[in-house]
Amino acid sequence: MAQERILVIGGGVAGMQAAAALREAGFAPLILERSAGMGGHVAQWDRLFPTQTQAQAVMAELSSAAQGIESVTGCEITSLTSDASGVTALSADGRRFEARATVVATGFDLFDARLKEEYGYGMYENVITSAELERMFREGRVTMRSGEAPRRVAILHCVGSRDEKVGQNHCSKVCCITGIKQAIELTEAVPGVEVTNFYMDLRAFGNGYEELYRRSQVEHGVTYIRGRISEAGETQDKRIQLKVEDTLVGRPLRMTVDMLVLLVGMQAPGCCAAFGLPRQDNGFFAPRDPYTGTVLSPVRGVYLAGTATGPKTIAESLNEATAVAARIKQDLAK
Amino acid sequence: MQHSGPWHFDPFVVPFTIGVVWLFGAVLWKWSRWFVGLPAEDKALVRRNWFSAKSLKALKEVVMECLIHRRIWKTNPMLGFMHMSLALGWFLLIVVGKLETSTYIHDAVNPPHVHVFFRYFFPEEPASYVRNFNYALLMDCLLIFVLCGVGLAWIKRIRSRMMGMRRTTRHTPFDRIALTSLWLIFPLRYLAESVTCGVHDSGSFFTGGTGDLLAAAMPGGVLAAMEYPAWWAYSIALGVFFVSMPYSRYMHIFTEVPLIFLRAYRVKSRPEGSTFDQFQIQACSRCGICLDPCPIASELDINNIQAAYFLRDRRYGHLTTRVADTCLMCGRCTEACPVGIDQGTLRLSSRVAFAKEGSLYNAPRYEFLGTTEDRSEGNGQVGFFAGCMTQLTPSILRAMERIFAAAGVDVWWADRNGGVCCGRPMRLSGNLPAAERMERFNTEQFRRHGITTLVTGCPICYKSFTEEYKELKAMGIRVLHHTQYIAELIAGGRLKTSVLQASYAYHDPCELRGIHSEPRYVLSHVATLTNASGNGEKDGVHCCGGSLANLTLDTAAQTKIGTTVVESLLNTGAETIVTSCPQCKKSLQRVSPDNDGRSVRVADIAEVVAEAV
Repeated sequence: MAQERILVIGGGVAGMQAAAALREAGFAPLILERSAGMGGHVAQWDRLFPTQTQAQAVMAELSSAAQGIESVTGCEITSLTSDASGVTALSADGRRFEARATVVATGFDLFDARLKEEYGYGMYENVITSAELERMFREGRVTMRSGEAPRRVAILHCVGSRDEKVGQNHCSKVCCITGIKQAIELTEAVPGVEVTNFYMDLRAFGNGYEELYRRSQVEHGVTYIRGRISEAGETQDKRIQLKVEDTLVGRPLRMTVDMLVLLVGMQAPGCCAAFGLPRQDNGFFAPRDPYTGTVLSPVRGVYLAGTATGPKTIAESLNEATAVAARIKQDLAK
Repeated sequence: MQHSGPWHFDPFVVPFTIGVVWLFGAVLWKWSRWFVGLPAEDKALVRRNWFSAKSLKALKEVVMECLIHRRIWKTNPMLGFMHMSLALGWFLLIVVGKLETSTYIHDAVNPPHVHVFFRYFFPEEPASYVRNFNYALLMDCLLIFVLCGVGLAWIKRIRSRMMGMRRTTRHTPFDRIALTSLWLIFPLRYLAESVTCGVHDSGSFFTGGTGDLLAAAMPGGVLAAMEYPAWWAYSIALGVFFVSMPYSRYMHIFTEVPLIFLRAYRVKSRPEGSTFDQFQIQACSRCGICLDPCPIASELDINNIQAAYFLRDRRYGHLTTRVADTCLMCGRCTEACPVGIDQGTLRLSSRVAFAKEGSLYNAPRYEFLGTTEDRSEGNGQVGFFAGCMTQLTPSILRAMERIFAAAGVDVWWADRNGGVCCGRPMRLSGNLPAAERMERFNTEQFRRHGITTLVTGCPICYKSFTEEYKELKAMGIRVLHHTQYIAELIAGGRLKTSVLQASYAYHDPCELRGIHSEPRYVLSHVATLTNASGNGEKDGVHCCGGSLANLTLDTAAQTKIGTTVVESLLNTGAETIVTSCPQCKKSLQRVSPDNDGRSVRVADIAEVVAEAV
C-alpha cells in the first residue's frame, strides 16, 4: 500500500517535529514552508530560556529527525479547503497540493513595533526589538548603532501584548522569561552594563523560570521596575530618553538609556484569516476543544500544532507536534 | 345657528379654551423662569442687541426655519414638505382664519375660538362673503395643505425610509398623547366642517363638496345629529394637544422662536451650564434627523445616546452618566440638526454637572504646575505646540522639524522636551478646574515668549486654543493647525516641494471640521489625492473612533467605527490614508482592513509634506 500523503503547512519547529512523527507513523509528510529555509523563528534565536541552551542544538536534533522528508520552501499557502476525500492547499504562486490530511503549523508573526510609535522603533536608531537583540547575541557583538557598547539598556515588556490600543489583548506568554534571559545575557555580553526591565506583571510560570528571575537579580544585578514606558524620545547624542511611571512607588520617572529593547509579542499571522478556519478572539486558529482537542481543528482533515493556536514555548509546540501525528494515525485508521 | 352677543359662546369650545389658556400659561411661565435665570452677561447681550439688525435677521430665520423648515428641506425634500405643511399650513389657517373672522365680526371682542370654530358659528356665508374675498376657498386649500402633512406624518411612521430616515425617534408617553391628538385635530376639523357644510349646503369645493357627498349618502337626520358631536371631538382634540404640548416634544414649536433670537444676540451655552440650555433642550422636537448620522448608531447599534435621546433624558431629569459619556462629540448630529442645537456644549455641561458630584472636581490637583519649570526651547515669533498626542507620534514632530527648517522659520518649541497638556481631555470629562489650571500654565508660557503665531500639531489642542483659551485673541496670537500653516507656507512660496508618486485619501479629523480646503490644497500639491471631491456622504467628517470625548466605548467598539472609515477611504483607490491628527492616525492604524492582522498605512499630512521637501 502506498504511503498516504499528509501536508504540513509551516516548517518551523512544530512543523518539522510533526513531519518527523508522521513519517515515524507510516505516512508520507510534505512540508510547505513560506520562507527560504526551515526552522522558523527558533532558527533565528541565539540561546533558549530557561537553560540557555543554544537554539542551534535544538535545531540540529530536529533537522536530523526530519532528514530526508520532502519539503517545498518559498511556498506560501493562501487557501486551504477540505472535503470528504481529503484536503487541498493552494499556494500564492498557483501550485496545488492534495493530501488525506494537513497539519497547520503556521506559527506566529512578531508584532510590528512601529505601531507603537511612541517608542520610536524604526525612527530612533538605538531602539531595537528582542529579535534584533538575539541576532546581536548570535553575531557575538552587542553594540549601539555607533558601534559603541551600551552602558545602560532598558528592556520593555509587553510591546504588542496585553495592549488593547493595538488590538492585541492576549499575553504572548514567552516574553517575560525572554526578557529575563536577555537581561542576563546582556550583562554577560557587555561587562558592566546596567539593565532595567520595565514590566506590567512578571509571569515566570514555567519550570525554572522563577529561579532564573531571581538569579538575574541576585547574580546579575538586573533591575525590575513595574511600569510601562509611556513614551521615548531621542536625545542629541542618539540616546533614548524614557518617560515612565514606577507604579509600585507611584512616581513618574525619567531615565536616559543607550539602548531600548522592545519585547515584541506574538501576533496571529495573515494566514489565520486566509484559511477560513474558525479563529479565537486573539486571531489565532481555534482548536476544536481547548482541553481534549487542542490539536484538532473543527474542520475534518485539518489538524493544528504549535503556535498556530496561540503563544507557546518550544517544548509545548514540540509536544503538540508529536500528539498531532498520533491523532492523525488514529483518525485515518478508522 | 344664531349666537347673540360678541362672545359667540357654546359649551363645546370649553376644552379648546382650557387648552389655550393652559398652553400659554405654561409656556410663559417656563420662558420667564429661563429668561430671569440667564447669566448677567447674557442678559446684557439681549439688552444691547434688542434694537438692532440682529432682531430682523432673527425674524427672518424664524420664518425660514420655524415655518418653512428650510434646513429640513435640504436634508430631504419630502421631509421638508411634511414639516412645512404642518407648521406653515397651521400658521396660515390661524392667520387667514383670524382675517376671515374679523371681516364679519365687527365687535371689539373676537375671542380665538370664533375663528377656530368659524364654520360652526357662521355655517352659511353671507352674500358679501364671495363678493369681497373667497375666504372659504382659501381656507379649504390651507386645510388640504395641512392634511397632506398629516398624511405624510402617518406614512413616515410606517415607512420612514421614504423620507430618507433609517431610524426614527422612540417617543415618551406624553409625546404619544400629544402626537395622537395632533394627528386627530385636522381630520376632525375636516369632518366637522364638512358635516356642517353638508347640513347647510354651504362651503367651498373641499369641505362643501365633502358635505354634499355626506348629505347624499346619509339621511338628513343622521348628518344633522353628527354635527354637534363632531365639533366637540375637534375641540377636545385641540384641548388635549394644547395641554400636553408644554410637556411633550411639541414644546419646540414655541421654544425655537426665542432660541433663534437669543442665538442671534450671541448668547451661547457654556460648559458650566445656564438656563439658556433650557431654550436649546426644549427646542428639540426629537425629529430624529440626528439619529442616522451618528456613528455610534450606525456602527455599534447603540440607540439610546444620540442627541435626541440625550436632550430628552436631560429635559425630563433622568440623564445617566452612561448616556452623557457615550459620545464621540464628532459633531455630525450638530451639523445635521435643523434647529442648530449645540449639543456638544450641552453634553459637556452635563458632564461637568456629573463631575461636580465627584470628590475630585475641586480637589487641589496639578498644584505642581505653579512651580513647573519652563522646558521650552528656541526663539521665534512662531511657536510650535506639539501636544501630548504628537509627542506620542514622534514621526509627526520630526516631519514638522524638517518643514520648519526647509522654510527657514525660527521656531519656539513649546513642548519638545515635555510640556503641559492643553487641558481638553480634562475638559471633555467635565473637570473644568483642572483644565483651567493647564490653560493658565500654557497661556503664561505663550505670553512669556512673546509669540505671535501658534502652530499646533494636534487638532485637539487646536480646538482648545481656538475655542477655550480665553486670552490668546487679546494677546494677538494667531492659532493655526499645522495643516493650515503648511498650506500658507506653500501658497506663500516659502516651502518648495516636489511631487510624490503616490496616491492618498484624506481623512478629516472631527476637531478640524470646517478646515476643509487647506489639507486638500496641500495634498493635491504634493501627490495624488483620491477623495478631493469628498466621500459621497453628506457630512464628510466621520470620527475615526478614537475620539477623546468618548468615555465609555472600548477599543473593539472604537476599532469598529474606524474600520468603516478605513474601508470607505481605501475604496477611493488610495494606497495610504493621510490625516492631520495624531489620534486619528493611531486609531486608523490599528484597523486591519482585510481582517488578517495587517494594518493599514496611515501617515500625517506633515510626514507626506516632509517627504516631498
